[in-house]
Amino acid sequence: MSLTSYAVPVPRIPVGQTFDAAINWLRVNFQAVFDFIGLIIETCVDTLFALFSAPSATQFTLAAAAVTAGGLLARKRYVPTLIAVAVWAGFYVAEVSAGLAAGVITALPAPLFLWAMNLFGAEYVYPPLVLALLLLVALVAISFTATRERRQWVLAGVSAGVLLLILALHFIVGVQLSLIVAALLATIALVVAGWRVALFSILGFLLIISMESWENAMSSLALILVATLVAVAISLPIGVLAAQSRHVSNAAKPVLDFMQTLPAFVYLLPAIAFFSIGIVPGVIATVIFAMPPGVRLTELGIRQVDKELVEAGEAFGAPDWQILRRIQLPLALATIMAGINQIIMLSLSMVVIAGMVGAGGLGNDVYTGIAQGDVPVGFEGGIAVVILAIFLDRLTGAVTRFSPAARAQRASA
Amino acid sequence: MPAVRADKLYKIFGRRPGRAVELLADGRHRDEIKSLNVTAAVIDVSFEVQPGEIFVVMGLSGSGKSTLIRMLNGLLPPTAGSVEIEGTDITKLGKSGLRRLRSEKVSMVFQHFALFPHRTVLDNAAYGLEVRGVARSEREAKAREALALVGLDGWELKVPGQLSGGMQQRVGLARALAADTDIILMDEAFSALDPLIRRDMQSQLLELQESLGKTIIFITHDLNEAMRLGDRICVLRDGRVAQIGTAEEILNDPANDYVAQFVEDVDRTRVLTASSVMEAPIPVVDPGQGPRAALRTMRENQTPWAFVVRRNRRLVGAVGETAIGEAVRDNAKEIDGIVETGVERVHPDTPVADMFGQAAESSYPLAVVDDQERLVGVIPRVTLLAALASSVGDNGEAEPAAEASGDAAESAPGTEAAADGETADEGPQSAAQTESDRGDDAPATEGSRQ
Repeated sequence: MSLTSYAVPVPRIPVGQTFDAAINWLRVNFQAVFDFIGLIIETCVDTLFALFSAPSATQFTLAAAAVTAGGLLARKRYVPTLIAVAVWAGFYVAEVSAGLAAGVITALPAPLFLWAMNLFGAEYVYPPLVLALLLLVALVAISFTATRERRQWVLAGVSAGVLLLILALHFIVGVQLSLIVAALLATIALVVAGWRVALFSILGFLLIISMESWENAMSSLALILVATLVAVAISLPIGVLAAQSRHVSNAAKPVLDFMQTLPAFVYLLPAIAFFSIGIVPGVIATVIFAMPPGVRLTELGIRQVDKELVEAGEAFGAPDWQILRRIQLPLALATIMAGINQIIMLSLSMVVIAGMVGAGGLGNDVYTGIAQGDVPVGFEGGIAVVILAIFLDRLTGAVTRFSPAARAQRASA
Repeated sequence: MPAVRADKLYKIFGRRPGRAVELLADGRHRDEIKSLNVTAAVIDVSFEVQPGEIFVVMGLSGSGKSTLIRMLNGLLPPTAGSVEIEGTDITKLGKSGLRRLRSEKVSMVFQHFALFPHRTVLDNAAYGLEVRGVARSEREAKAREALALVGLDGWELKVPGQLSGGMQQRVGLARALAADTDIILMDEAFSALDPLIRRDMQSQLLELQESLGKTIIFITHDLNEAMRLGDRICVLRDGRVAQIGTAEEILNDPANDYVAQFVEDVDRTRVLTASSVMEAPIPVVDPGQGPRAALRTMRENQTPWAFVVRRNRRLVGAVGETAIGEAVRDNAKEIDGIVETGVERVHPDTPVADMFGQAAESSYPLAVVDDQERLVGVIPRVTLLAALASSVGDNGEAEPAAEASGDAAESAPGTEAAADGETADEGPQSAAQTESDRGDDAPATEGSRQ
């Protein structure tokens, strides 16, 4: 007797093959698009990594200029600030594309720059640095002339002072950049989240430096930040749409479930197919894995805004986008920030998997640890991930309290 | 042109509203069309609201009043019928047209205030103008003005969470006022406030209305509130209009059993105010008159008293028969010295219930004086009792109360005057006054009601 004669013939559906074929088709036909996306992501991650691990004097200067400009913009001095930035940008582009600024600089008397060349031990004047310094000087000058607010003066003075201090510490005293960057990150934590978090960050970062994982940690941080940025940029609009329309919401839900439950390794496959090995597939896989809570919490936050408030906006004749921007988004901000926080946390959990496809960073340490049975390396990588995670979590958690809604809530409590 | 006109408005929620409208137009009750799987919220509602009027829509929850008010500014599109705002049919407006209408012509005050918690009181009040694109300095100036009007100056930089419920609704009112629209929709605006504050807000609204003269459509489920605020009241029942009329009309002449039942439990003495039961202030005499002239005025009106008012109608006091008699005997030149100034005074808005104590203490009728201390009417004790006695449907008794509310001076007794719930207007009264001022012939046509 044979049972096989009763077996119902179940046809083999070529799911995997179809998927593979689809990927191949996409790769063949849209290779240029993927290359472009990959290029952008790679550039962003590399730039951020360079900024975190070995910032140049120019970058420090630009950061100081950005802080000053931010203060000016927050105080609504748009015109002079934007003019200064635009002039700088114009010169910068001209310099990069045609070496124009270099021409101008060589036309100027040399003694103006000699001290700087001596200070930085440079053989020649680096034009972008000069431009950045000029921008900072301009912005500080605007701060002191265009505003009468003491806080802006303090901000401009402090950012210029800190810049000088950093340059002096590194280029004259010779302190390592890692320590300086760690101190700066801790300062951000101090401003945003208070002294406890700052204390924790400085200790944590010192531990990372002492474990000689600083470079890797900064590489992972750069990857996470870029992935988070992309994920937020995609998930926020989808969340907003889903909150407005039931159809979008219904359509998005199963897709999000799919994205979240499909084992992360599985979408490494197409990611590698499209972007080959390296940091880009790591970022892509991270984005896909981390995005769903951003969409969900954005939708939830906007739907939770009191219907009567939205109706009030409508009753006074506000257009939909204005209701969204001035009523729904500010009031949903706490929930949306929770979503962004979740995105960051999930990105961190993807670090190791990204390491597997050659994204480097802490993930690589952990992966090496697993592959070679090297417990110390793997464990140290893991610890560093945890420290980064706590730092980012507390930071994003604290950002919410600067929102107008949170401020109002504190005031009324 | 009416400020707002609703014509055969229907709002049916559900998939196929067309058939439901037909059936309902046939006079079916909304429960009879349940099988169509639709909910009829508003059925065949028509009314006109004149500029400057407070029109109250009253009904229990589920009567469709909130749906109705949302159709008036296009937040909900009507299933059938039309809404005209200042002559424009808003059901034919597109999205942007509706938005412009809402920001320029119709603003709204909400039951739960609907203030933006993340904006300051000032920014909240300025919201309507912000939407309209008015420059910051200008809109803040207007918002400050509106906040001052509702008595909230000094609170501009607080956020709504720091304010009490009553103050929050003042901000809501200021937001609607600052938007500077001619029409204001108020959706159960005071229902979420506790009773004392609600009364305050009602008074404030009436006060503001005196000076601003907006067209207000006010939704409430509270009959007393409706009676107090409304120039006219529209009673809704199960989505249909049960009756539209003034407070007195609804109280004294309910259109059907439902309305009758509704007003049955109303404490009439709380609904009826001094202004609705008072009589024309006759006789009045001038403090400069001699006692003989005063006595003659009193005799002609067959009253043992007369109120003494100055030329600007400010109340000085009252004189009684005995005092006058003595003055006549003593040959006094003026009555000035014998005027009793401690007359009990009430405000036109004082409910009848609050006047009994005062009436009991005074030997004179109660003097109804407005905010400027001007005499606008008198309430003899008899009138007070009559107001209390008149019950629903008992027209014979109710008449004097309803009628006395208005133009008593110009309408001869017994005439069916369409009392409008308003205090007597200036004209006839000042005429009556100047006549008595002259001291000679008091107007015989304006016979006393005593």
